[in-house]
Amino acid sequence: MALPPRQRVEVFALTAPAYLWLAATVFLPLVAMVYFSFLTAVPVGGRTASFTLAHYISFFTKPIYWFNAWRSIELGIYVTAISLLVGYPAALALSRHVKGRWREAIFLLIILPFWSNALVRTFSWTMVLRQPLNLLFTYPAIVIGLVHAYLPYAILTSYISLQAIDESLIEASRSLGATTLQTFFRIILPLSMPGVLAAIFLIFVPVIGSFMEPRILGGKDAIMLGPIIEGQFTAAFNWPLGAALSFMMLAIVLLMLALAAPLLRRQLGSS
Amino acid sequence: MSRVDVDRVSKRYGQVIALDQITLTFADGEFFGLLGPSGSGKTTLLRAIAGFVIPDRGTIAFDGEQVESVPVHRRGIGMVFQNYALFPHLTVADNIGFGLDVRHVDRSERDRRLHELLGLVRLAGYGGRRPRELSGGQQQRVALARALATRPRVLLLDEPLGALDRKLRQEMQVELREIQRETGVTTIFVTHDQEEALTLSDRIAIINEGRLVQVGAPVETYERPSSLFAAQFLGDANVFRGTVVDAHGVRLADGTVIRSALEAAPTAIVRPEKISVLPAGAPHHGNALDGEILQAVYSGASVTYRIRVTVLGDEPLLAFVQASSGDVLAPGRRVVAQWSPEQTVPLPQ
Amino acid sequence: MRRLSHAYLALVLAFLYLPILVMVIMAFNRSALYELPFTFDLVWFKALAGNERLLAASWNSIWIAACNAVIATFLGTLAAMAFARYVFRGKQLMQILLFPPITIPWLIIGTSMLIFFFWTGIGRGLHAILLGHVALSLPYVIVVVGARLQSFGPALEEAAATLGATPVQTFMRVTLPMIAPGVVAAGLFAFAVSFDQFVISYFLAPPGTSTLPVEIYTAIRKGFTPEINAVSSIIIVISMGLMLAVARNYRFGGE
Repeated sequence: MALPPRQRVEVFALTAPAYLWLAATVFLPLVAMVYFSFLTAVPVGGRTASFTLAHYISFFTKPIYWFNAWRSIELGIYVTAISLLVGYPAALALSRHVKGRWREAIFLLIILPFWSNALVRTFSWTMVLRQPLNLLFTYPAIVIGLVHAYLPYAILTSYISLQAIDESLIEASRSLGATTLQTFFRIILPLSMPGVLAAIFLIFVPVIGSFMEPRILGGKDAIMLGPIIEGQFTAAFNWPLGAALSFMMLAIVLLMLALAAPLLRRQLGSS
Repeated sequence: MSRVDVDRVSKRYGQVIALDQITLTFADGEFFGLLGPSGSGKTTLLRAIAGFVIPDRGTIAFDGEQVESVPVHRRGIGMVFQNYALFPHLTVADNIGFGLDVRHVDRSERDRRLHELLGLVRLAGYGGRRPRELSGGQQQRVALARALATRPRVLLLDEPLGALDRKLRQEMQVELREIQRETGVTTIFVTHDQEEALTLSDRIAIINEGRLVQVGAPVETYERPSSLFAAQFLGDANVFRGTVVDAHGVRLADGTVIRSALEAAPTAIVRPEKISVLPAGAPHHGNALDGEILQAVYSGASVTYRIRVTVLGDEPLLAFVQASSGDVLAPGRRVVAQWSPEQTVPLPQ
Repeated sequence: MRRLSHAYLALVLAFLYLPILVMVIMAFNRSALYELPFTFDLVWFKALAGNERLLAASWNSIWIAACNAVIATFLGTLAAMAFARYVFRGKQLMQILLFPPITIPWLIIGTSMLIFFFWTGIGRGLHAILLGHVALSLPYVIVVVGARLQSFGPALEEAAATLGATPVQTFMRVTLPMIAPGVVAAGLFAFAVSFDQFVISYFLAPPGTSTLPVEIYTAIRKGFTPEINAVSSIIIVISMGLMLAVARNYRFGGE
């Protein structure tokens, strides 16, 4: 809908600063990354660079890259699945079996660690995992650390969508003769799917891109795409390769989103 | 106090036509009601006069001065919103004084005016309270006082009494009218409640689907609706369709001829309160239809009869009768419904 | 059934808080290697006070977080006003564009910022870190303030306009007081996001200077000193305290 000129100016003035900032710090850099991924080297300091597909090709040909991309995806799946398996029942318990002030209080308690320093939380696991569990620097340690970090997300989104279910729907189900279990599988679970799907997006994507938790908790076992990309920028100084790998990671993420989109639309459309 | 001229104002939102060439004049000092169903455009018109809606075409003028390009805060209007829109973070006094504060009116003048207004809406002493401490009726009065504080040229009311319960509504209607008479400000108010429109207004306009249906004084609009929509929206109506046989007669499907004092038209209405219901066989005069009582609803002062008559088919004839004798005719009873030709209202083509 | 639920929730909470509690408790333990028995000692906190690097990094973190809070809140509030009070073409697109900073893995955002800043001469440094943090905070600010604006609709501002207030007067006298809690909450949020932010800071930090999280990470990778424990405990108490303040101010729970 077209706005009168004065209002158009107002809207522009209000949104321009924020979006210019975002353009300069997020959008343009992303574009730059794509550009550099096709170069042999970063063209600064007298170096010349030429166009190449070598980095992308190596992603597909060198096992260290595509195999570990798969490992990252696998990690994402594990963490997401476990977070949901643990978190959804917790959200269910909170929304259906806790009333009044306790509910707000417990909700806050669950969210609080989530908004505190992720690095510190990961670090705190090193202590517990070291003695007596002796799990430090293993793959399970990485999974535990990541689940710990993202569990609140799973609980949060599940809880929100569970809360949105009108109580009268459940009462209607009961009045029609459905048992608690039937009511859960036929009414509650389907209607809370948006929350579950939101959790999948919000957990899967960051986990694929994580490098800090794998490094700290996994030690040698932490060869995954995240740490590899990080290494290109800090150790190997092969920025174009890093850029290409980053873009491939982004592509994987977008691909999964695209695959899930019709599913999402159907779920959201029905509720 | 201004005269407001709305000339061929039109507004559309995408495919929806909100206002279609509306032309109206609101006389100086008049209490004018805009009446219509939800979505009819009456609120859009009100907001266009306020300045929140810019018309696509047409002009709006206050005392001859065009205002379409004047922003809201410079139009000199006062507005009472449907949910009052009182500033929750300000006291009653600061709410009412807001218009004066933004004009930097000096302290003593502001206080004097505040005192005057609180008295006007009968809320003296409430200045220090907060909106949330007040009842619905009190909030409404604060909203009114706030709108009047700056001596606006035009006062706009958007369904002002909608949130109040029946008794309070009736009280507020009286108060509203009193205050308006005292201040003499041109007042335009929007309502979907036809009874309210009839009670309060000097003149009313019926709006439907963005178009002006009828304008006039309440009595005239009610007694002489100019269209079927107006007839049925403002009050109830029994609708008769037939063929015109002479200057004052319309023949209905079963051969009965209905007489009207005015010139006949193929469609005519009769208001239910104009019909008297007599037992079958009783002597009658004027227009008369035989029928059988389907339903009788007693409500103390009056009885509402739904009567089956052949000419209307499945649609019952509606009659409101004063319960002067306390006797209510039972369903199943055969009756005669009669009314005089003066009460037959032919609808213009 | 209820009891089962309560027990389960208790288990989940225990899982979430266990490592944190262990860490905080151990920060007060004299042993350098986290060995029991537990002897209460403040030695590591005292050592912290003498650790130049950590203190400098802490100061950087606080300074950046504060600047970030102010800038992001200011820019974000303006944008939130536009979204809440105007209808315009492209609004949906602009709202969608707020997602990338928070949904794209920070690894990718951080490295792409690094590349871009390097190429354009902005380079690395505290200023670069600030640039990045504001970008990450903006979506949160816009959502938080936007929700507050939505909660009371445009009626109040329209009323102010009918009473003769210019747009600036309306904003100062009506809008701002009404959204104040939301703005404060958003500011605290932005502060916390920046203070805790690791990934972006890691890539944009030049050798020699860094923020506290980056310092901690380096120390962990090298084989830590117990002071890390102490400073981590302090950080976690601060960030949780901040979020508690936000929640109190803004009342989540039903959000």
